Amino acid sequence: MDKQYIIRGVQRSSFRKFIAWMIPWAGLLIFGVYAIYLCLAKGLNQTNMDNRFAFGVWIFLDLTVIALGAGAFFTGFLLYILKKKELHAVINSAVVIGFICYSGAVGVLMVDVGQPLRAWFTFWHPNVHSMLTEVTFCITCYLTVLAIEYVPVILKNRKLREIPSMLVFEHELHKLVFVLAAVGTFLSFFHQGSLGGLYGVLRGRPFAFREGIAIWPSTFFLFILSAAAVGPSFILLTTWLVSKISKKRLVKKNVLMLLGKISGALLIVYVLLKTIDTLVWINSTSPAVGFPAYEFYSRKPFGTWILFTEIVVFGLLPALVLLSGRMRAHVGLLVTAAAFACTGVALNRFVMTIQTLALPTLPFDPFLSYMPSWQEVGAFLAVIAYGVLVYSLSFRYLVLFPQERELSNG
Amino acid sequence: MFPWVYGFTWDAGSIVFLGAFFTVLAVLVATLMKATLRAVNDVKLERTECIRWKSDFHDLPAAAKKCRHEFTGEFAHRTCDNNFDCRDCATHAKLMSEHPLVVPENAEDVVYGFTMPLDRMYHRGHTWVRREEDGSFTIGLDDFASRLIGVPEQIELPPAGTRLRVNGTAWNVKKQGAAVRILSPVEGEVIEAGDPQRGWFLRVKPLEEKPNLRNLLRGAEIRPWMLREMERFQGLLATEGAGIALADGGVPVNDFSKAYPRADWDTVMGEMLLEP
Amino acid sequence: MTAQKNSRYGMVIDLDACTGCGACMVACAVENNIPPAPESANERTGITWMRVYKVLNGKSFPDTQAVFVPMMCQQCEHHTPCISVCPQKAVELDEESGIVAQIPVRCLGCRYCMTACPYHARYFNWWDPVWPKGMEQTLNPDVAPRMRGVVEKCNFCHGRLQAAKAKAAAEGRIEIRPEEYQPACSDACPTNAIVFGDLNDEQSEVSRMAHQKDSFRLLETLGSEPKVYFQSERPWVHHIAEQDFASPEKETVHG
Repeated sequence: MDKQYIIRGVQRSSFRKFIAWMIPWAGLLIFGVYAIYLCLAKGLNQTNMDNRFAFGVWIFLDLTVIALGAGAFFTGFLLYILKKKELHAVINSAVVIGFICYSGAVGVLMVDVGQPLRAWFTFWHPNVHSMLTEVTFCITCYLTVLAIEYVPVILKNRKLREIPSMLVFEHELHKLVFVLAAVGTFLSFFHQGSLGGLYGVLRGRPFAFREGIAIWPSTFFLFILSAAAVGPSFILLTTWLVSKISKKRLVKKNVLMLLGKISGALLIVYVLLKTIDTLVWINSTSPAVGFPAYEFYSRKPFGTWILFTEIVVFGLLPALVLLSGRMRAHVGLLVTAAAFACTGVALNRFVMTIQTLALPTLPFDPFLSYMPSWQEVGAFLAVIAYGVLVYSLSFRYLVLFPQERELSNG
Repeated sequence: MFPWVYGFTWDAGSIVFLGAFFTVLAVLVATLMKATLRAVNDVKLERTECIRWKSDFHDLPAAAKKCRHEFTGEFAHRTCDNNFDCRDCATHAKLMSEHPLVVPENAEDVVYGFTMPLDRMYHRGHTWVRREEDGSFTIGLDDFASRLIGVPEQIELPPAGTRLRVNGTAWNVKKQGAAVRILSPVEGEVIEAGDPQRGWFLRVKPLEEKPNLRNLLRGAEIRPWMLREMERFQGLLATEGAGIALADGGVPVNDFSKAYPRADWDTVMGEMLLEP
Repeated sequence: MTAQKNSRYGMVIDLDACTGCGACMVACAVENNIPPAPESANERTGITWMRVYKVLNGKSFPDTQAVFVPMMCQQCEHHTPCISVCPQKAVELDEESGIVAQIPVRCLGCRYCMTACPYHARYFNWWDPVWPKGMEQTLNPDVAPRMRGVVEKCNFCHGRLQAAKAKAAAEGRIEIRPEEYQPACSDACPTNAIVFGDLNDEQSEVSRMAHQKDSFRLLETLGSEPKVYFQSERPWVHHIAEQDFASPEKETVHG
């Protein structure tokens, strides 16, 4: 039925089947949009956040999807700047994933702030000393870059490229894509860092506060590194997942292995630096302001196990697997390690957001707990459903994996 | 954000931060502007067809992009890197001067039952060109493409006066819902449109007195080229689930798509006629 | 016209005098047009610029002792945690008064300042402010009510400072007299536990008391130089300001 819109030479399921796949996700999206509507119309009292737990699951989600979405900038950087030609096989998919992650995060942020219509104040009256200002500027700029990078991918659609103006614009824009990759790298570098800086600068929260270099706390650099490390892993993971769901070979195995290798190399450096940072923090930064670090871990359920899980189980372990050529060659291990790496970074963002806020600072204050309301979960699900819908449409009608055609024909 | 906005201060932080922001903004705007201006220029200079072909060629699978000198055995493996435009290909020029093509003695060649007259030249997109006495060119579909397309639902031939470019669109056909472009083998201006009954589709007046026709296949190249094309075709039919391979030595049917309705003719025609 | 000397307004709260009656909380809410909390609000979503914690010494009867700790914005002087984090300059340290000002009309409601504040003294408007019919008559005309979705906090009854300055200006004076500016909480305290004044003024009671031996500040080690001091003669109360206070009782909030 929609055959003439699908690229030649690849197999896609029937239109009916495609619609059957999309309907549940669309339903989830509608549910989520209703939850978002409640939050916007009635106010943030619809959430379970409060004056003490002022950031909740949404900020955790934003930090995580932005870290995972780093695959877009990092793959672009490796392909267009460092000329890793193999990554051409996944760059379109990476751009779409990046776009989904960033637009989803910005969307949720707009619900998360109390006065979304005042978002322009940040641009008009920026406090350049705030990490959040840097984040806001960089993320909006980078979302624009991703949208521009998405345009050539869309214009490659079979029907659209029949229109001469679309065809030539795609051609000319694609020739300049290296500029976008460079700008994207610059922007990503800063906002990934600033997201880390967001917590590292909190002098009032000794659990999160870190010393640093110049105006940047150590978390600034750790966030950049961890996002760059986990970005390729997430591309690997999504490519594998899409391949399983669509039952198609999408990229050659060497591409997945290369992604895993890059991820592993960066992850091991990250784990090392994170360990040093943690030791410095435990032995110097935290006690210097009167907070012995062991006290943070005496509050159930956040014992030292969480530190161990983050750094060793979801950090060191996947890094070693990804670095070993023999283990990397095993697709099951490769994918599991990538999933572990992604989980590790998500856990790190969780710790920075949720654990930081749960821990009291006043000595007579209790440990706090927080459970998101269904509206918060609904908005979270809306982002996931939106991502699946956009990705599914892109996968069906655009060329996300240029190698697919060749692989399906033998 | 600007010096005249309330709260602005000329401190180092603001200058660095906003300087970086406006630089990024300027780069993005400049990139978009440049792409747009170039695109407008391309449309003005009628480069659309050329760009379409470049883009199509880029997307073709490697098997469809083999150099013609691989057919003649001069290379074991070589993928064309010049968009099938041998007119300005240094490798082609060099090889042609080293081993000029043998002029065949017979008037036609029959490959897998496809009749390929040798009084004309062939384009990789399965059209032929014959030079007429008045210096004009006649363009038609070769035997393979004729049978591939069979009786199309629609043929859209360009009106007289249309300018054709090498590897640009010559005309459009629709068959079983699949729309394909037939690529033009030569540069020129259309002077007359034909139809399948007359055995040719277009008559074209070349733009120059001595048009460069080096991009076209001829003589001894035709047989090995067709053999390779048949390999590709069989491969496509096999993967497209037709489950039937062409019988060796038999006479091909007049309309493939009628004979193998289960195959994905959109893909097969696209791949064989060089439109990915 | 002579240049005005900068003030550093601050407080000393005598914890031994505080009975935990909550009059300061009520006076604060009335003065600053805090809307009545909706029914679904709880102690963590309601707005109480001034909030009284009850802390027990952790001993069983008959040795049990309690101390009430009134907490509001501590008006940090140095590296003020909430100022640098605000993306749009909605928090400012007023040079003239030393008061950390929250400017609700500029606030985006991102709540980053709330996560930055170690004293949890910042409050978000989770609901639209609603005053029951008739109650809007009691609104203080000197203080603008805030809208839903913005952050607010104690500003040492800045409205009163403005009023005092206006009065002084009308009488041709440049400086206000100390007794002309007192925040609602110190005004309302029945035991005079809250002493308010200019810490820069060496003659002032607050400055004298702040330098007394049994005065301390909360979370002093963070280095934010808060301008709210606490006083107690009881050693265990001093310990609550330090980090070695073991297993605190669950806090209770009055009001």
